[in-house]
Amino acid sequence: MLRRIFSIAANTFRETIRNKILYAILAFALFVIGMTFFLADLSVGDFARIIADVGLASIHIFGVIMAVFLGITLVSNEVERKTIYILLSKPVRRFEFIFGKTLGLSVTLLLTTLAMATVLFLVHFSYRYGGRAEVGIFIASAGIYMELVLLTCLASLFSTFTTPVLSAIFTLSLFLVGHLTKYLYVLGDQSKVEAVRWASRFIFYLLPNLENFNWKNEVAYGGLKSFSILGWAAGYLVAYAACVLCLSCLLFARKDFK
Amino acid sequence: MIRQGPILSIERLSKSYPTGFWRKPVRVLSDLSCEVHANEIVGFLGPNGAGKTTTIKILNRLAFPDAGKVTLFGGQVRDGADVRRRIGFMPEQPYFYEYLTGGEFLRLCGQLCGMSRADTESRSSELLSRVGLSGARDTAIRKYSKGMMQRLGLAQALLHDPELVILDEPMSGLDPMGRMEVRGIIRDLKAAGKTVFFSSHILSDVEALCDRVIMLHKGRKVAEGRVEELIGAETLYIELVVSPVLPADRLAAAGIPPDAGYAQGALLVLRAADNEQANRWIAGLLREGGTVLSCVPVKKGLEEIFMERVGGSDSTGATS
Ligand SMILES: Nc1ncnc2c1ncn2[C@@H]1O[C@H](COP(=O)(O)OP(=O)(O)O)[C@@H](O)[C@H]1O
Ligand SMILES: [Mg+2]
Repeated sequence: MLRRIFSIAANTFRETIRNKILYAILAFALFVIGMTFFLADLSVGDFARIIADVGLASIHIFGVIMAVFLGITLVSNEVERKTIYILLSKPVRRFEFIFGKTLGLSVTLLLTTLAMATVLFLVHFSYRYGGRAEVGIFIASAGIYMELVLLTCLASLFSTFTTPVLSAIFTLSLFLVGHLTKYLYVLGDQSKVEAVRWASRFIFYLLPNLENFNWKNEVAYGGLKSFSILGWAAGYLVAYAACVLCLSCLLFARKDFK
Repeated sequence: MIRQGPILSIERLSKSYPTGFWRKPVRVLSDLSCEVHANEIVGFLGPNGAGKTTTIKILNRLAFPDAGKVTLFGGQVRDGADVRRRIGFMPEQPYFYEYLTGGEFLRLCGQLCGMSRADTESRSSELLSRVGLSGARDTAIRKYSKGMMQRLGLAQALLHDPELVILDEPMSGLDPMGRMEVRGIIRDLKAAGKTVFFSSHILSDVEALCDRVIMLHKGRKVAEGRVEELIGAETLYIELVVSPVLPADRLAAAGIPPDAGYAQGALLVLRAADNEQANRWIAGLLREGGTVLSCVPVKKGLEEIFMERVGGSDSTGATS
């Protein structure tokens, strides 16, 4: 079972890294992050911080673009092009297919995130020849990466039953909502109606809380207070991703292919 | 391996596809039952849209029936990875990952089938040369032609040396040469003790190759049997070739109606309905000074049998 999942993951990884559009996005992202080097000349204030802030935001945005771009066609491409016919006629179970595809894309995203973080780290380090080696960049990027994996799982879930365009819309909506869920919680709690409070709480727990992976500010303002926040985020990612993947597998298990 | 029961048994399969929100679903398969036995070549025949691909998808668990049952290998093993390892499947108009080369694709297939690396490599080389793709091993599939895709489809289906090979339209999209090669491969599979179940809408391909045929029309089985039984059972007409071309009055004297045949150069070709009539005509022809050069019973081909069974009602695309 694991061997088949890894084979599919390896193939997905190969598929994504042979994708020219991914390289275009990555190249542009690296360019933008590299350009933050000159940012300090244009602004006042704590230059190193600005570099880190803008750089991390770039990593975040380009990461989301890559995850969504690759994730929304992860499953639907195979169904549309009928390549899945051959895969599933082999001794491959459908959940192995879903897990393998998601795993493969996660590896690709790991490499692209790492590349972006490294460039940012180097820019920061070389800033005016006196920059610090800011390990926080990698820690914050780890959070971004976890968020990307979760978005990938969501995109591939949508990809099992709808078109790429709708998958992109759903995934991006969840991305936006996922960063705002705490307001939902706060707003809901102000309601006088018990049912509304419960409903808002229910939705709060149902939606992905992507702020769990956001340590950009902590990192920028004097470092992460405790590493337990990383562990908590990883646990949340595993639990939430497992639920999403299981749902994908359920939806996919008895799907008829056209 | 000698086995008692059928290798593949399909029992009362039915399948409908939804056509839209409000409209009634279309029935694609109705109550289809058939069997494939060990070491047979079985042709699955029917015009376009008969439901062949749908049936084959169900066999490969790419679609699920509304009713009915498929039993593989006598049901000794639960349908799962173990069963799949013993089946080779080539989809209709196979399509592969464009970003791989033929060799890389077969390596992936070998991994998924649990084959060792060395095994995969040696089988790949063997099969690629068998299907005539040795030269394209390291070519990106993006650059393959339609015929090459078809050949690679065959290679991946046979890679893990399956007992049962299911092919959906293996001959379509190939040139005459390619068709002949595919027929050769199918015959070799039988010689190696394998079982082949393949679909086609081209009757002549099937007639020459199959032990048994199953004919499908609008999702229903219209005929099933050994090819020689289906073909040999009935004679269409008896063709007489006579020399010289007798004038109408002498034909009439021989008891032959004027519309019984036609002249073809210096020869007269006549069609008698049965043996009795043929014999009467021959006697008359000899009396009138004709020479009977040949007398051949023309049997029904699969095409005629098919037309007859579907009642000639709607048989668009029965032949190509
Ligand atoms: N996914 C689908 N949705 C709706 N109708 C379908 C679908 N697949 C096949 N059909 C219909 O089912 C019928 C049989 O199709 P198919 O099994 O592909 O026939 P064949 O392979 O014999 O040409 C056709 O009329 C086709 O339009
Ligand atoms: Mg078909």
